[in-house]
Amino acid sequence: MNGNKAIRIALTKGRLEKDTVGLFEKMGFDVTELKEKGRRLILNIPGENMEVVLAKAADVITYVELGACDIGVVGKDTILEHGGKYFEVADLGFGRCRFALATKKGLDFYGGVGVKTVATKYPNVTRHFFESKRMDVDIVKIEGSVELAPLLKIADGIVDIVETGTTLKENGLAVIEDVVPISARLIVNTVSMKLKKERIEQLTDLMLSQL
Amino acid sequence: MKKYDLLTPEGTRDLIFDECAALRTVSEKLRGIYESHGYSEVITPGLEFFDVFNNKSRHYSQEVLYKLTDGKGRIMVLRPDSTMPIARLMGTRLRTAVLPLKLFYDQTIYRANPKESGRDDEFFQSGVELIGGDVMRSDMEVLSIAAEVMQSFDAAEQRFEIGDSGFFPLLSSKLGLKEQELDDLREYFISKNYPALDELLSRFAGSAEASALAKLSRLFGGKEVFAEAETVLPPEALPILQRLEKVFDSLCELGMSSEVTVDLGFAGKTEDYYTGIVFKGYIEGYGMPVLTGGRYDRLIADFGVDTPATGFAVNENAVAEALLKRSGGMLTPSPDVMIWADEDGIVKAIQHCKELTGQGKTVEYAGLADIGAAKEYALSRGMKALTIVTKNDITEEPLK
Repeated sequence: MNGNKAIRIALTKGRLEKDTVGLFEKMGFDVTELKEKGRRLILNIPGENMEVVLAKAADVITYVELGACDIGVVGKDTILEHGGKYFEVADLGFGRCRFALATKKGLDFYGGVGVKTVATKYPNVTRHFFESKRMDVDIVKIEGSVELAPLLKIADGIVDIVETGTTLKENGLAVIEDVVPISARLIVNTVSMKLKKERIEQLTDLMLSQL
Repeated sequence: MKKYDLLTPEGTRDLIFDECAALRTVSEKLRGIYESHGYSEVITPGLEFFDVFNNKSRHYSQEVLYKLTDGKGRIMVLRPDSTMPIARLMGTRLRTAVLPLKLFYDQTIYRANPKESGRDDEFFQSGVELIGGDVMRSDMEVLSIAAEVMQSFDAAEQRFEIGDSGFFPLLSSKLGLKEQELDDLREYFISKNYPALDELLSRFAGSAEASALAKLSRLFGGKEVFAEAETVLPPEALPILQRLEKVFDSLCELGMSSEVTVDLGFAGKTEDYYTGIVFKGYIEGYGMPVLTGGRYDRLIADFGVDTPATGFAVNENAVAEALLKRSGGMLTPSPDVMIWADEDGIVKAIQHCKELTGQGKTVEYAGLADIGAAKEYALSRGMKALTIVTKNDITEEPLK
């Protein structure tokens, strides 16, 4: 098996992309093209026989699942929400935050027997969380600032990604329970893992050693 | 009301011309291989009762099944798999058949994939089932046929991977996990989710089984895997390893040493029916296995006949797609002769055509009234000449 096969990696645009490019730099890769990318979406890392694709988080999963990209860097949040079939081989440690359940400060969310309404951008994560508690809840999918939903009184609580909690605080909301921690993950297409084993293992080891 | 008269349902598609040709090429090639080894064809209904796919050895989750009801309100499904209908057949019409029984099938499969996942909901699948027979001999027979099938694809790069579904239940049973935890462990083990796997297993520090599970998930590759596994597996798991290595060596001896690999991180999902050796075939350019198979010794017992069995299935659409990509598209061939007739020559043209097809030629009519349009049509079909038939005359006119 050839150790230097061409490999294509999908990165989640934005913060995870920056963190991964930083990691590549530490690994000694030439990231000039990645840093001066302009509007291009497919970029080269010279000398590494490696192509980098920049995509939205959920698309990273789609590309890896379908084999268009061999590996991908994507947040655990997207993995939990999107599901799919691929190998999730490493926790890259960066992009750390968490899913949490928040309500208006002082509200007794679990009190009473009524069905609660929860607003979220992540209906699957939310459904799964309350299923594990054997609770019936109504889920409202919100696309923008979820914090608005309890303020506008259409939801009792929200399930959302929380980093520092500042936005919650400024809007009179508070975390009442952590749902699950989140960080960037390295995912691998199931066929690439077998066909390009050495290359992928080398790259993974190198990435993990430089974290 | 929105009309859907111009769409095919998600996950389905029309196959046209060279897409059909590629699919038929694959299907005929596979059929030839199966028949050359003495396998006989069965065709099972596209519609089955839901219960066929919901038994002890294997159940399909509701989400993946296309369901409808019959006139009596009973739940029916579009066949999501051919092995379970064949197991049903073994429990009924074939229950007194002489074993070993060698069957093959070539039919469509229906699975409701998640929305917009880019996967086919309807696809052609062919495969074999070897029912009854000595375990070692049957495994080798079916593995070697699967290997022959993989080689017939002539792909630029391919892998034939073997594993065993016995490791996981043997090792995990020693950990005393609750059902939900066991499901999680299985999921992490199969999906090579190393961080989650390590975290869950860290509770069992000092357990030989726990450390073996953590390592097995990572053990895949070539022959070297066996030596490594020997150092991490507890003694009770060694017989499975030895059996697998023997199969690996046999496949190498059969000339597969450049393609065959092993993955010890395989475990059947809760709903899987595999009980022993399992295998998968991959070809470059297709993001999922194109061939999957393995031993299933308990499934047929669910239908009332306790007999071991093994088999595999091939996703023909996937292989055809790869074939088309590689060949850059195979044009539908132009006929040997194209005929145009004027109004009085139509009957004569049909007689002439009969004569030519009788000689084994392919003949097509340019069925247009205007001769100029007929010539253009002939050119578009790659013809070099057009045969013109009138009441009294048959002439061949070269086309420029």
